[in-house]
Amino acid sequence: MRILIRLLVFLAVLAAPLAATAHHSFVVAYLPDKIIKVTGVVSEFRFSNPHGIVHFTVKTPEGKVEEWKAETNSPNVLKRRGWTKDSIKVGDVITVTGWPARDGSNLMRVSTIDLPDGKKLLGQAATPNAANDKE
Amino acid sequence: MKHAAWILAATLALSVGTANAAEKMKDGHPDLSGFWAVKFERAPSGQALIDELPKGTTMIQDTGPFELKAGDFSGLKLTPRALKQAQDYSYKDDTKVQNNCKSPTMAFLMQAPFPMEIYQGRDMIVMKMEYMDMVRVIFTDGRGHEPADAPHSKAGDSIGHWEGDTLVVDTTHLEAGTMMNNGFDHTKNMHVIEKFRLSPDGKTLWATQLYDDPGTFAGYAARYISWTRKPGEYVYPYDCDPNYANE
Repeated sequence: MRILIRLLVFLAVLAAPLAATAHHSFVVAYLPDKIIKVTGVVSEFRFSNPHGIVHFTVKTPEGKVEEWKAETNSPNVLKRRGWTKDSIKVGDVITVTGWPARDGSNLMRVSTIDLPDGKKLLGQAATPNAANDKE
Repeated sequence: MKHAAWILAATLALSVGTANAAEKMKDGHPDLSGFWAVKFERAPSGQALIDELPKGTTMIQDTGPFELKAGDFSGLKLTPRALKQAQDYSYKDDTKVQNNCKSPTMAFLMQAPFPMEIYQGRDMIVMKMEYMDMVRVIFTDGRGHEPADAPHSKAGDSIGHWEGDTLVVDTTHLEAGTMMNNGFDHTKNMHVIEKFRLSPDGKTLWATQLYDDPGTFAGYAARYISWTRKPGEYVYPYDCDPNYANE
């Protein structure tokens, strides 16, 4: 299977993103004004509180392989948005859109995840209005 | 015929009004029972409660979805102890396995964007919080606080009474715990006074939490929180999993 890998980083002017948990401050851990989009193959998906974690393997255009982690909102919040522990499967090619870690590591916070079947999972909302709509 | 139509219209209007109005318990107090989801408001619909806070109270602007950046203490003047703790703070400490599932106290937990269920009796009110599975018991039977040497806890010792249609809850005996999630804790001497009030239509629950903790900050601080009533929904188990820290 040919795996399409792309790593696209772009800046976006956004309203303050909304945290789904008060465990640790989102804005302390992530860059709230920067959005990245990363595509890779899922190697593990943990769906438990305080945060879900998606592990995925990314191949850069230069052929380098990177291990990435994407942190989700609390699964309790996501369950009310239709997520289940089976929403993401090992081997799925996914595109994760979200906010990068402040420390520059291969860690990001999930805003949305595009699934192989064309469906999109909504994670942390990008604007107060969007969150209000989802709540 | 025309007269009958007017009576019917008036009856319908009255029934609609009754259905939307805040319901009362048998003891005459407002009925706060039910499932409540945090309400995200651009402007506080319960401004009246905020206006009742002591003059000069600092409002902490991190309620619900909003959070504060490192070094932003919402205008609070911290004590040297709290300031040093905030300066030394690293969020990565929160993700260690020993801290990952450590619950905040009710002073921070109530504003988190998770729902709650309220069960209301004459002598006690129970708040079943989804976040960290906390259960708060608020005694409304007229008792006083536990003795000074009684254990401190995340939920603290809460006693409540009604002032008109407002539930006033006084909480002491808290453990030291998160004041803001950008780096500092309140002390075990924190005193919290909450006011809970229903909107006139009974669909929104407003609350303020007033904090007094000279060991952490000068003067008074407060948060405003509001919830929407959602009949038929339930709090989920939180079941915090510390293995998250090992990911």
